[in-house]
Amino acid sequence: MLNEEIFSAIPMRTWRWLKVNEVPVPAGLSENVQTEKILVETGESKSIVLDRREGGALEVQAHIADGGELNLIYAQLVGEEQAATSRIKVYVGKGAKFNYTTVEAGAKHTAAELTVDMAGDDSFADVWGLYFGDGGRKIDLNYIIRQQGKRTDANMQVRGALLGGAEKTFRGTLDFLEGSKGSVGREDEEVMVLSDHVQNRSVPIMLSHEDDVDGHHAVSIGKMDEEKLFYLMSRGLDLAEAQKLVVEANFQPVLDRIDNDELKAEIDAYLQRRLSNG
Amino acid sequence: MAEKKKTYVEDIERTLYDIKNEDHSVYKSHSGLTPEIVRDISKRKNDPEWMTEFRLKSLEVYNSLELPTWGPSLEELNMDDIVTYVQPDAKMTGSWEEVPEDIKDTFDRLGIPEAEKTSLGGVGAQYDSEVVYHSIQEDMVKQGVIYTDMETALVEHEDIVKEYFMTLVPPKDHKFAALHGAVWSGGSFVYVPEGVHVEMPLQSYFRLNAAGAGQFEHTLIIVEKNASLHFIEGCSAPKHNVTNLHAGCVELFVKEGARLRYSTIENWSRNMMNLNTKRALVEKDGIIEWVSGSFGSHISCLYPCSVLHGENARCEFTGVTFASKGQNLDTGASVIHAAPHTSANINTRTISKAGGKATYRSAVKVTKNAPFAKCSVNCESLMLDNLSRSDTLPVMDIEGDEADIGHEAKIGRISDEAIFYLTSRGIDEEEARAMIVRGFVEPIAKELPLEYALEMNNLVNIELEGTMG
Repeated sequence: MLNEEIFSAIPMRTWRWLKVNEVPVPAGLSENVQTEKILVETGESKSIVLDRREGGALEVQAHIADGGELNLIYAQLVGEEQAATSRIKVYVGKGAKFNYTTVEAGAKHTAAELTVDMAGDDSFADVWGLYFGDGGRKIDLNYIIRQQGKRTDANMQVRGALLGGAEKTFRGTLDFLEGSKGSVGREDEEVMVLSDHVQNRSVPIMLSHEDDVDGHHAVSIGKMDEEKLFYLMSRGLDLAEAQKLVVEANFQPVLDRIDNDELKAEIDAYLQRRLSNG
Repeated sequence: MAEKKKTYVEDIERTLYDIKNEDHSVYKSHSGLTPEIVRDISKRKNDPEWMTEFRLKSLEVYNSLELPTWGPSLEELNMDDIVTYVQPDAKMTGSWEEVPEDIKDTFDRLGIPEAEKTSLGGVGAQYDSEVVYHSIQEDMVKQGVIYTDMETALVEHEDIVKEYFMTLVPPKDHKFAALHGAVWSGGSFVYVPEGVHVEMPLQSYFRLNAAGAGQFEHTLIIVEKNASLHFIEGCSAPKHNVTNLHAGCVELFVKEGARLRYSTIENWSRNMMNLNTKRALVEKDGIIEWVSGSFGSHISCLYPCSVLHGENARCEFTGVTFASKGQNLDTGASVIHAAPHTSANINTRTISKAGGKATYRSAVKVTKNAPFAKCSVNCESLMLDNLSRSDTLPVMDIEGDEADIGHEAKIGRISDEAIFYLTSRGIDEEEARAMIVRGFVEPIAKELPLEYALEMNNLVNIELEGTMG
């Protein structure tokens, strides 16, 4: 994997000049490769936290058997001098559930791929992601949910904030395969842009080979709601404090899903510190 | 439980478009693409020397570029089989009476001369590679409006053509822009002077009759400061068993405070590869409005691009695509915000049925020079069966922190709840489904001139069988 120039690609290509077809392997990626295999047996429920502080590559394969449930939390807080990649592949069986929460906040250059195969009928995937970019950070994300079983239910919610000279690409794909009758899928990305030097690319892809589906996607990119800022400043906060509060509020639905209080507090403090410096 | 029956939506009625005339062309270039063929076309068209050079350079660019690595497969296109220039047995005229009978009959059937009498300010009609008819109302001429075929413009307004021709879509843009640069023929030239408002639309109609041929018309429109124009473009061809190619190019220059509405109803036959390039450059306070209906072609790649170059420049894009059996229609739009306070509104609907493939593809680019840019994109897709495909692939590339960009997309089928609601109000199910599909395309239909809106409603005529499942 590390020798490939392309780390990941979107399921359907578009114009080359937009530079979103492929996720390049980050420069300076260390040889460190961490692999994880997760097996959730039929009817079993598992909660796993991947708390990542070292750069390099991470490969995760998860198999959720029929009726199983996996709650996976992935916190990427790698040091800012390092590069990090992650490739997480999840198979979701019949009636199985996959709850995923990810925080992509560390590393100078991040490339992350998530592929969820909702192969089983009535399978469920709830993906919540947070990314935070500041300084000269590069964040390159490619999340793909393939809905194959009947009556699958997928939700992809991503919140981000970008400041300094951060550069980010988020690709989110909902793919309704033939036979996925009665399936629903939602995808939302909300990006707050806090600096004039930010580059933000958003690619919300929806593919469908089945008519009996209900798919929605939405992207909102912009600066902070001035009315919110005005309200907070009229209550005595200065601009920086008000901005911090608005970003935190935007991140809250993602952070609230982390039930490990210690990790949640650490991420919260880490983001606050970065926001204050930004 | 009995399997529920599908809504059946009829294919577009093509009888009218499929009547082919005998090929009475007086000259056809050899098929394929060589410098000799390009020189020959240029000589026959009495090009000035700079245009001959331009064509030959474009051919070099064409040979140096690869086919696109994205979008529908173009493998079945073999340029060696395509005849790039077909000269019909007709001279350009300003009177329908002088147009040869079989060609005139074709345009009569399509209703062009009738529309000219009732609702148009000018008409251009191209048959294969050459324009056979062009007219414009006298009062518009008095106001300084120029509406003519590109060949005449190249003679009578050479300086203007030379200044603008393929500057917005340069040959190196992509392989088919280069092809166009090498073998272009026909098309319309419109010049609207400063402050002139063209009250009635101008319409150009493009008809490709010859089998295995290509049509490469060039449309160049310049709307000067504070002027306005509505231009309508229609395209059709009879069905042949061999691939035909359309690689036209449209360049629109909308100057300060000007407004241009560009409406297209594309209904090429199902053996056509429609690889058309359209682009508008919009200056300060200018407005470009695109209304685009894509119904025909075997393969289509069409993404009108708006470059919002001046402060407060605006773009409104409204599009509908209907992909049926054997069609792969890859359509959409792109907008480049290159100045402060520019805004764009993109609104599209796609329908796919009977194995048709519809792709919505778009790009919204906000450069650093465009603070306070606003863009709203809304695309909805309706699938009428699971033989078909419907994909959306939008990209937003935003620099800076002062942009406000929103994108929304939906995909799905006609909901049973909506049918139930309407039938409970006493509407029969067939009509209920028809109402829902008409409602789905209504935001687009209302932007079309009345006769086109009616035509579009006919095109999406619904026939229902079975019962609600």
